[in-house]
Amino acid sequence: MYKYRVSKNSGSGSWVVQRITGLALVVFMIGHYILMHYQPESGHTYEAVLARMQFSWYRIIDLSFLVLGMYHGLNGVWNIFRDYKMPTWARISVLSAIILFGLAFVAWGFVIIFSIPYLS
Amino acid sequence: METDTGSQNTHRKPKTFDQKNWISENLNYKKDSGSWAWILHRITGIALIAYLFLHIYSLSPLTEGEVAFNNKMEAFTTPVFMVIEWLLFAFVLFHSLNGIRIVIVDWADGAKYHKQLYRLSWIVGIILFLAMGAIMFSHELKNLF
Repeated sequence: MYKYRVSKNSGSGSWVVQRITGLALVVFMIGHYILMHYQPESGHTYEAVLARMQFSWYRIIDLSFLVLGMYHGLNGVWNIFRDYKMPTWARISVLSAIILFGLAFVAWGFVIIFSIPYLS
Repeated sequence: METDTGSQNTHRKPKTFDQKNWISENLNYKKDSGSWAWILHRITGIALIAYLFLHIYSLSPLTEGEVAFNNKMEAFTTPVFMVIEWLLFAFVLFHSLNGIRIVIVDWADGAKYHKQLYRLSWIVGIILFLAMGAIMFSHELKNLF
């Protein structure tokens, strides 16, 4: 059917997810900017961060934002690489590096958020 | 079937992408708003993912408690850093507004009016950028006037 079929996956799923995560990130970003800049103290002092992090739902929102942002961003980077013709070893190396970097920094984000104590 | 190579040369070959001179090919082709949107979307996207890594790193003193975190934050609330933060918002704005434009083009027949959407996203972006400047620098602005 196709002369140059290399993959059965058309990438349409990834394309839809990129649109959805992008729109979700716009919503998160509006909230993030209001929170960080409407009052200068709210974003930039330990007390304010500590107070917010007493609510578990806030930690969940924060980490969702992190995971979505990292996925959308690194998928975007991978999409840029996919525009160029690469030998298989280069494709595998680049994709592995992207995934490893992403997982490492998301893990670091989780460690940071959960290191903030609950006061009770 | 006879082939006359001479007459083929009289037809102009359609111009194809010159792989060997890809830099000058990319720089020289005529760019309309869509090409600029594509280029700027890439540049802002790369900058934003780089910033996300930096952002995680810069918040890491949270693990060391109050003193370490507030020391780090002091550096980020200097005027120079605030201006850089403000410019970062320009990148966020372009990527967000152009991203919304892309979704409209893909899903809501926006291909018919994508150029108007591009202009609109610049107008909205500049307004929001200036508004953010006013919010971020309101203290300094009050001191000036």
